[in-house]
Amino acid sequence: MTSENRRIILVLSAFCILFVGLVGYLSYFQVFKAEAVKNNSYNKRLWINEENVLRGSIMDRNGNVLAYSEKDGETNKRYYKYGNLYSHIIGYSYREYGKAGLELEYNNVLLDISESAALNELKNLVLPSSVGNNLKLTIDHSTQEKARSLLNGRKGSIVLMNPKTGEIYAMVSLPDFNVANLNENWKEITENPDSPLLNRATQGLYTPGSIFKMVTTLGVLESFSLDLEYNCVGSTVIDGYKLTDYNERAHGKLNLHDAFVKSCNPYFAEKAVVMGKDKFGEVAERFMINKKIHFDLPVKTSQFPYKGNVEETEIAASGIGQGRVVVTPLNMAMMASAIANEGEMVKPILVKEIIDKDGRILKVMDTEVISTVTGPSVANTIKDMMVDTVKAGTGTNARIRNVTVAGKTGTAENPSGKSHSWFVGFAPAEAPRLAIAVVLEEAGVTGGQGAAPIARDLFIHGLNNIDFEEEY
Amino acid sequence: MLDTNIRPSTPRRLLFLYEILALILLFIYQKDNLDQYIIGIGIGLILLVHISNYLLLKISKGDNYIFLIATMLMSIGLIMIYRIDSQAGVRQLMWLALGIFFFYISYFLVRYLKGLNRLIYIYIGLAYFLFILTFLLGKRTYGAINWIRVFGVSFQPAEITKLILIFILASFYYQYENFKEMKYSSYILMAIAYSFIGLLFLQRDLGMAVIFYAIFLAIQFIYEEDRKLILLNIGLAVLGAIIAYQAFSHVRIRVATWIDPWQYIDDKGYQITQSLFAIAEGGFFGKGLGLGHPHFIPLAYNDFIFSAICEELGVFTGMGIIMLFLLLVYRGFKIALGQSNLFYRILALGISTLFGVQSFIILGGVLKVIPLTGITLPFVAYGGTSILSSFIALGILQAASEDFEWRMSDD
Repeated sequence: MTSENRRIILVLSAFCILFVGLVGYLSYFQVFKAEAVKNNSYNKRLWINEENVLRGSIMDRNGNVLAYSEKDGETNKRYYKYGNLYSHIIGYSYREYGKAGLELEYNNVLLDISESAALNELKNLVLPSSVGNNLKLTIDHSTQEKARSLLNGRKGSIVLMNPKTGEIYAMVSLPDFNVANLNENWKEITENPDSPLLNRATQGLYTPGSIFKMVTTLGVLESFSLDLEYNCVGSTVIDGYKLTDYNERAHGKLNLHDAFVKSCNPYFAEKAVVMGKDKFGEVAERFMINKKIHFDLPVKTSQFPYKGNVEETEIAASGIGQGRVVVTPLNMAMMASAIANEGEMVKPILVKEIIDKDGRILKVMDTEVISTVTGPSVANTIKDMMVDTVKAGTGTNARIRNVTVAGKTGTAENPSGKSHSWFVGFAPAEAPRLAIAVVLEEAGVTGGQGAAPIARDLFIHGLNNIDFEEEY
Repeated sequence: MLDTNIRPSTPRRLLFLYEILALILLFIYQKDNLDQYIIGIGIGLILLVHISNYLLLKISKGDNYIFLIATMLMSIGLIMIYRIDSQAGVRQLMWLALGIFFFYISYFLVRYLKGLNRLIYIYIGLAYFLFILTFLLGKRTYGAINWIRVFGVSFQPAEITKLILIFILASFYYQYENFKEMKYSSYILMAIAYSFIGLLFLQRDLGMAVIFYAIFLAIQFIYEEDRKLILLNIGLAVLGAIIAYQAFSHVRIRVATWIDPWQYIDDKGYQITQSLFAIAEGGFFGKGLGLGHPHFIPLAYNDFIFSAICEELGVFTGMGIIMLFLLLVYRGFKIALGQSNLFYRILALGISTLFGVQSFIILGGVLKVIPLTGITLPFVAYGGTSILSSFIALGILQAASEDFEWRMSDD
């Protein structure tokens, strides 16, 4: 080949690479980037439907309307009846600030936009200026109000759910913000160092402290060769690093049951090390730690880094829920639910039904088991420990007359210096209807003092007020 | 010369099918308030495309695909322009008819005029004359002074100058042996090319400057024997780009809105982000003709026609357009490899490079792969001189695809 022809082909090859590169980039853009680009609030296409379609209403499980739209002359106006109460569940939909919460996740449903554009166009021809679909939530409005009032302005979060069906009855996160008048306080909200926009229930990652001993306990129960007896002297030294009990109180000789009820740190730290990180990690992942939880709102994944080169002290710390373990309150409510539900963890549900404007039910969310944590007998063993924890252990503040409560407290040390106060549990223990996770962020008190009474009060309110549809 | 196994009518029938389907979609989209022009546009487009293709097959023994590719591209473009603005669609159809007329004129001129390869000084003079004209009569639009009005028609001289550049390069390297005796002749050629690029910079026509540079670099890379000149050329371009970035604020803005347009979404980044919204909304199969929102895209039937097409006809159509341009470039290079006459070979290479670079710059620009510069997508976008210049270039390529050996023996 002459050098001229060779060079011609070189230039042609350069063009081929450029154009094939363009096709490649276009595919990459469409597959990986288009979704985020489309949802930018500057995209006018997001709002064009808003003008023609009356956005659907959102109501609680009993049909109380929580958010609705009305025609205001030419434009449609969105009303949020309960300012702060649903700021992290329903969220908001504003032209200026975009969308958040269910308003974002269920935007297409609320506006009755189907996935197919052609079908939409057809629908617009047949029914111009239509009305969107309504959402019926699993939330119980009075319980939601009670939960928010129990936090009493303190930073933290509560998730109350049905352990068998996965329905969320209440989910609060404080600080929150008033979605009804975002225009007036947007700047203040975004600049607040306590980040009120953050939904702590699903996106807050907290050190769990002793509530994580439920995971460690399951690991211990499954490791048959493990010696369940232990002599606690108030502290233990692992790999040169000293782990102590709360107030360095020695518990003396105890077995797994007593260690759980008294929340003995040296016991679980040592057993975690003996169990081994792989076994421990595998058990944790059954509780959906390190796993993506699919939910109606975006959920951060709880983390327990155990793979690779992890030191023994790190595993020991993880055994008592310290170290690098971080979890979301929603995940912890699901953990309690799994034990309540004989070892089966169900998917949490926030939207119960999608109902069209004529009242027809378009879709009902079904209960779905997402992880089998353990079998019924092991689950009952752990349940008994939790019942005794509330009866005579660290969780006595959660005790209710006539109702058996099962629970576990946690007092999680963290970099702020003030510990998080945790309580997870369920009630009634014999036939669980409610499972709960309460966390008071940087409360500086123990789980038994801070979180347990809140759980008790919410259990009482919920058991008396929620309309449980299932038969027991 | 270029033999194929499929009958030439087969691709033409496929093109016909595409046009009919698209026109039916347009018809359905408009059925509530039918436009008076729809029938005229439909019949006009189909007649224009098929008569001109049929005629060409009778007239030219050369490549019979490049014109077909161009008519496919212009069909997609016309249908989209008409959907966005029916008045503009009617005007575009007229421009296309005129463009095809110019295609035949340029084809016959290049084919039958002798001695085109000996007019290098006239070409150079003409190029400078057009530049001077632009500065004397130029109008400033979107920050660039590159339009003049002649007899009431807006006219962009650089669209013609870029073709003249190709003729200058072809004449020079055709007579390379003679010019080599002249000292520093290659340097002088480079100085002339750079003076063009510099003048385009002054007119703030960055896209066109890049096209001129790319054509010059490609031809120089293939034919220049003094190889260090090519390195010098690339080095100068890098240096020039750095200086331009430092010196001109409008260059810096282009780069900044390319790196992160979202930051400037309210003003400087508005165009490119609207383009990305449209492409993202379209998905692989598009919203459907008439079901998107091309009116949200600024200059939707001009610089951003590709984004509007992606939104309504889908990214797969967008990929189809990209592949059509690649095919066009490929056919052009194939023509060059088969052409035994050096002058026409260089013309074919120059024009293929022109199509390739021009389409890549605007496609890459609206996709945010490279900084956005306002030039038109050949054959697809709306635009008077741009359509004419593209068809003239195609006519030259068509002529260059034929056998010129018989002329050699005649001479």
